[in-house]
Parts: sequence; C-alpha cells; structure tokens
Amino acid sequence: MFLIKKLSSFATVIFGVLLLTFLLIHLVPGDPVEVMLGESASMADRDTLRADLGLKQPLISQFGRYIAKLAHGDLGSSIHTKTPIIDLIKTRYPATLKLAISSLIIGLVIGIPLGIYAALKANHWQDFVVTMVSVRFSAMPAFWLGPILMLVFAVWLGWLPVSGMESNSSIILPAITLGLGLSAILTRMTRTSLLDVLHDDFIRTARAKGLSEQTVIVRHALRAALLPIITIVGLQMGSLLAGTVITETIFSWDGIGRLLVESIEKRDYPVTQACVLVVALSYVLVNLFTDIIYRFADPRVRVSA
Amino acid sequence: MLGLLFGLHGNGIDLNAILATPNVQHWLGADDLGRDILARILRGVQISFVVAIFVTLISMTIGVCIGLLAGFYGGKIDRMLMQITDIFLAFPGILLAIAFAAVLGPGMANLMIALCMTGWVSYARLTRGQTMSLRNRQHVQAAESLGASVPRLLFKHILPLLSSILIVEATYSLASIMIAEASLSFLGLGIQAPNASWGAMLRDGVRYMLVAPHYVLIVGLSLMSLILAINLLGDQLRDKLDVRAET
Repeated sequence: MFLIKKLSSFATVIFGVLLLTFLLIHLVPGDPVEVMLGESASMADRDTLRADLGLKQPLISQFGRYIAKLAHGDLGSSIHTKTPIIDLIKTRYPATLKLAISSLIIGLVIGIPLGIYAALKANHWQDFVVTMVSVRFSAMPAFWLGPILMLVFAVWLGWLPVSGMESNSSIILPAITLGLGLSAILTRMTRTSLLDVLHDDFIRTARAKGLSEQTVIVRHALRAALLPIITIVGLQMGSLLAGTVITETIFSWDGIGRLLVESIEKRDYPVTQACVLVVALSYVLVNLFTDIIYRFADPRVRVSA
Repeated sequence: MLGLLFGLHGNGIDLNAILATPNVQHWLGADDLGRDILARILRGVQISFVVAIFVTLISMTIGVCIGLLAGFYGGKIDRMLMQITDIFLAFPGILLAIAFAAVLGPGMANLMIALCMTGWVSYARLTRGQTMSLRNRQHVQAAESLGASVPRLLFKHILPLLSSILIVEATYSLASIMIAEASLSFLGLGIQAPNASWGAMLRDGVRYMLVAPHYVLIVGLSLMSLILAINLLGDQLRDKLDVRAET
C-alpha cells in the first residue's frame, strides 16, 4: 500500500518535472530560435531549427512529441555540435556520479564520527569546538571553499592538480569542496539525534542491565540515532547535485554540471533543458529510494504504515 | 551606505593600483581593473541586500497566499496546490533558479524573477501546515460562526499568529537567497558589470588567484562572515520569538 501510494505521487512529480523543463524553452524572451542562433544565422538554418524544435505547433502537441521522444531515449541534439544530447549525457553523467558519491563518502566519514564525538562530550569544550567549526563550514559556499582549497593545496603546496580530470588525484579537491559542507551538516545532525536518543528509557535500561558504555552507545544508541540521518543524507543529495554545478565549473570537472553551464553560455537550450531534467530526475529517484529505505530500516514506521 | 560616507564609489579606477595588495590608499587592495576592493564589497552588499529583501518579500507574499488557501480550504484545492509545490521541490537546490536565469538571460530583474520562482515554495509549505492547525482554534471557529468573511478570517485571525514564525523563516531565507544570488552571479547569470556583486567578484578573484590571492580571500571571508551573522541573527530571533524549531 505504501509503495503504491509512493509510486503514484512519484509519477505525478515526474510528470510535473517533465512539464516544467519542457516549458523552460518557452520562457526565452522573444524568439528562441533567434536567441539561440544569433543574428548572423541564415534564414535556412533558422527554418531547420524551428522545424526541428517544432515550435510552431500548439503547446500540447509539442509536449506530447517531447514525451514521445524522451520515451525513446531521444533528448534532441545540440544546436552547435549537432551531437545527440543523450550521448553527451552518457559521457558526462558518470563523472558527476563519481564526484557526488566521493563527496558523500567524505561527508559521512568526517561528519558521523565527529557528531558522535561531540554528543559524547556534550557541553564540554570539545563539543563547543566541533560545533563552532561545523557552523563555519556550513556557511562556506562551494565557490569560496573550492578556490581556497585550490590555492592552498594545488598552487602553494603543489600536492594536487589544480583542475581538470587527467590524473586520479584530480577528484580529491572537488570532492572535499562538496564533502566538507555536507559533513558539517551531518555532524550537527548526528550530535542532536544521538543526544535525543541518549535520554531515552531504553538507554537507561541498557545501562541498568550493566552493559558496558561502549555496547550501550554502539549497539543501542547509534542504531536508533542513525535513522534520521538517512533522511538527511537523502535530502542533502539535492544540494550535493546542485553543488556539483559550481564545483565542476571551478575545477573544470567534465560532468553534467559543467555541461549545463557551458550550454547556458553557448545558449544551447536543448542541452540546458536536458541537463536540468537529468539532474532533477536523479534527485527525485534518490528521494524515492531514501523513503523506501527509511521505511524498511525503521520497524516503528513499518508497523504504523 | 557606509561606502558613501567614506566617499568611496565602487567604480573609480586607479590604473596604478591594478591587483594591488592591501595598502594605505586601498585598505583591502584593488581588483583587476584597479578598483578599490573595500568600496566594491560595500557596494556589492548593498545590491545583494536589495535583491535579497525584494525576493524575500515577493516570494513570501506568494508563498503565504498559497499556503493560507491550501491550509484553510483543505481537500481538492490543498491537494492541487501541494502537488505543484512538490514539483518545484523536485528540483534540487538552486538548479531551478539556474535554469530560469539561463533562459531569461542575465540581469538583475531576471535574477530576481528566477529567485522568486523558487523561493515561494518553503513559505507555502510552512504556512499551509500552520494554517491547518490554526484553523481549528476556537477564536477562528468563533469568528467564522459570527459570519466573518474568508479574507477576514485569513488575514485578521490566522496570519497575525503566523508572523513570528514567518519572520524567523525570512531571516534564514535572506542568507540562502544571498548565497543563491552570489552563485548565479558567480556563474555569470546574475548581476552584470559594472555593478558590484560578490559572486562576480569571486569569479574574478578565482581568475586572478595566482597573481593576487588576497582578492578571492577577502571577498570570500566577507561573504562567509555575512552569512554567518545572518544565520546567528535567525537563531537569536527564533529563541526570542519562541518559535519551536521544526523541519
């Protein structure tokens, strides 16, 4: 029942996402063809593009055509290079995925242990330091942290490549840029959620049974405290995906985000449209999976449903 | 305004001071065109504040109206409106703002439209939830049974109770709008030269990072401090106005 309900609302959202991305191109002020090709384009070129995009037909049938083409995996082709967009996406998407997953791992590896540490030392100076540092990091946007890391580790120390993706170590700086912000949020969430749990009755019972402090924390408290963190991670994937747009631009990382920015600069709107669609769909899917995982991870939610 | 007080104007060019490090004449150094960084930071924050305040006011008005309607009427209207907000929420972070700004073209007005298009969603959800619970309060029911009109109920009896929670939300969103504005300007989609903008300054700073690292450091530090200050203000307001922290 839960799955059916979830999937039906998922379908509506997907439909809305398709509609909104489809409408994007119609928001272009004036004639989109004129804007995309520039004034120097020949009449013949304009007519071909106009026919290609089908901009003369009524909106409904245009949308229908858009969906039908999508169903066949056809995202149209780039105005400038004429390459099918699906091929562009296929070559760029793995890079973005690699970057997002690496930053997620960095965020988890730093954030969760620090949060546990801060919760165990609650209201001591260690907790205070951790909280202060994480508040600073969460106020640090990627387009500042990125350049700073680049300056220190690539330019001054020369340990890591400045940008590009030629060597294996190229991923380190962009992944840290994205991961640090995430880890700051995870630290605070883990701390709050663990502190909440530590006051619960079952923890007192576990202690009263004479279990060692370590068993109480690891086996009982952490298991309960990690549940809300699943949701946070799911929600944060969104800002992670959006963050890749800026981080990829800074570090010349050839992913979807950079493709998006390049297509905007070249006014290659079909590519822009496709990138937005792909990123949004990934996010919706991640959220769907988080919801499902959460259902099965938490016995209470499962029973009440 | 502080800038005007000191007789600084962000567009003055000092050709001898191109990319100068901090000195007596230019306290924080100068940028790639020899413009004073301090003056441009002050000018940039004014523009940024104006944009953020306008966007917050407009998106709050739209969001609150939608939230009130959805929460008050419930049923079909609520389902339809929430379906629309869900669709907007399906776009992660500033992606939708980037997309809107991209097709509308760069410039301040388009930037504000793009930010408003995505900004109203959180207000709508917040207001809807609150309205749903307030609708069943006794004073609202009493007013309704005395024949008060719907607008009167919404604006006289429900909205005032929402004001403190909305003020706190607006403070936090001020910070996130300023980050979003800076991100868009960083990507070249926001405020255009010669107007000062922190995002565009950061982009220039990155470009000249090798020769003048102080540029990007100073602008970034200012931005971080400002965001931090606004967020702390939000925390204070939340405690003072006694709004319960919620999702």
